[in-house]
Amino acid sequence: MRQVRTSLLLWVLVVLLPLNIYIIFNYAPVEKTMGVVQKVFYFHVASAWIGLLAFVVVFLSSILYLWNREERVNRLAFASAEIGTIFISGTLLTGPLWAYPIWNTWWTWDPRLTTTLVLWFMYVAYIALQGGGATETRKRLAAVYGIISFINVPLVFFSARWWRSIHPIVVSGEGIGLDPKMRLAMFASLGTFSLLYAYLLSLRVKTLELQERIKVLRAEVDS
Amino acid sequence: MPNYWRKVFLVYRKDLRDEFRTFDNLLATLVFGAMLVFIFSFAFQLADVETQQAFPAVLWVSIFFSSMLAIQRSFAKEKDNGALDALLLATGDRGIIFLAKFFCNLTVLVVFEIVVVPLLWIFIGVNTLGSFDILLFMVSLLLGSWGLAAIGTMLNGITIQIPSARLLFPILMFPLLVPLLIGVILCSHAALIGSRASVLGWMYLLLAFDLLFTLAPLILFDYVLEG
Repeated sequence: MRQVRTSLLLWVLVVLLPLNIYIIFNYAPVEKTMGVVQKVFYFHVASAWIGLLAFVVVFLSSILYLWNREERVNRLAFASAEIGTIFISGTLLTGPLWAYPIWNTWWTWDPRLTTTLVLWFMYVAYIALQGGGATETRKRLAAVYGIISFINVPLVFFSARWWRSIHPIVVSGEGIGLDPKMRLAMFASLGTFSLLYAYLLSLRVKTLELQERIKVLRAEVDS
Repeated sequence: MPNYWRKVFLVYRKDLRDEFRTFDNLLATLVFGAMLVFIFSFAFQLADVETQQAFPAVLWVSIFFSSMLAIQRSFAKEKDNGALDALLLATGDRGIIFLAKFFCNLTVLVVFEIVVVPLLWIFIGVNTLGSFDILLFMVSLLLGSWGLAAIGTMLNGITIQIPSARLLFPILMFPLLVPLLIGVILCSHAALIGSRASVLGWMYLLLAFDLLFTLAPLILFDYVLEG
């Protein structure tokens, strides 16, 4: 059943990913002052969204793991952290591409930039703590770290925000400051990236599961 | 409840006594801190940087790095001879162990600062023109050390359980310390120019940060020191 679901997701993505690219480049209008550079926004925001979503998944499954100690839950947390790191890296790479022509600098210590960078560091630390062939202890300790680092995210954000802010606020409490066509492209990106995340996650969880089975089988053969 | 705090105090006293009897760790931390301070101020002099502006940054980077050395041993010493199990049996509550180790690390950090901060002050040649707010400076040092000790103690409890993972300690610790770093640097900078009102919000934020990372481990420590 899960096999079917995963391959179905793959086929949906085979259709949606090119469609998303089409919407971004042909349907959504070119921004008046920034020009074509603005297109990076759709990838940038979608990756950032997945990065956060993945971190929430790490947090929730860490709590669940400490509670019920199921291997399944830990695999979900670890896979989510790995995929989140990749997407956060995407955000951190696409940001400067846009910022250099628009802000005239590659990097600045804006709250969102700072928070994203710290988030990346915490993800990497989490993965390092959990390690490759994780033992029971490492899984438990990584879960604890997954929880505290999540608590830390809002603190990083608000402290950096108090300090300074120049990042454009596109989505705010008063609605979205975007052309309707651009808005559609943004939501298309968010949706497609979310599906991509779900697909990668299920794939990664499965490989982790298989790795563990190989370990068990090998131990049986050896003995 | 008095019994709880009595146990905390007893473990704290034990740790502190150990810290001052095996003087090498404290000494190494002090020398390391003094050396950092020397290297920073010297390097800034060579590059002709306005060192006075850099004072809060240099101060806190030095304290952050040295605190790693200071805190690294707080659980490691319990690893030998199964002392940790004995400690768990004796106290019966992991929160007690956390609090005791936390107070011990805080004390060590304060001792460290008493030596190193004046040194840095002299090396950099801080000239405050009479507007120096010493109370704010002390409070920001205390709030910063509190947060460092709390997070450090918690993470040290995590890293000692993983063999061959010494390097993990700073990697886990520094991302968590970012809000603290911003807060304490701004506060100590404000102390130098004597503008207490401008950082009042930051003091509350630091206090909230410290309380959060002291209370969260009390709950989570049961999972850290399991079995």
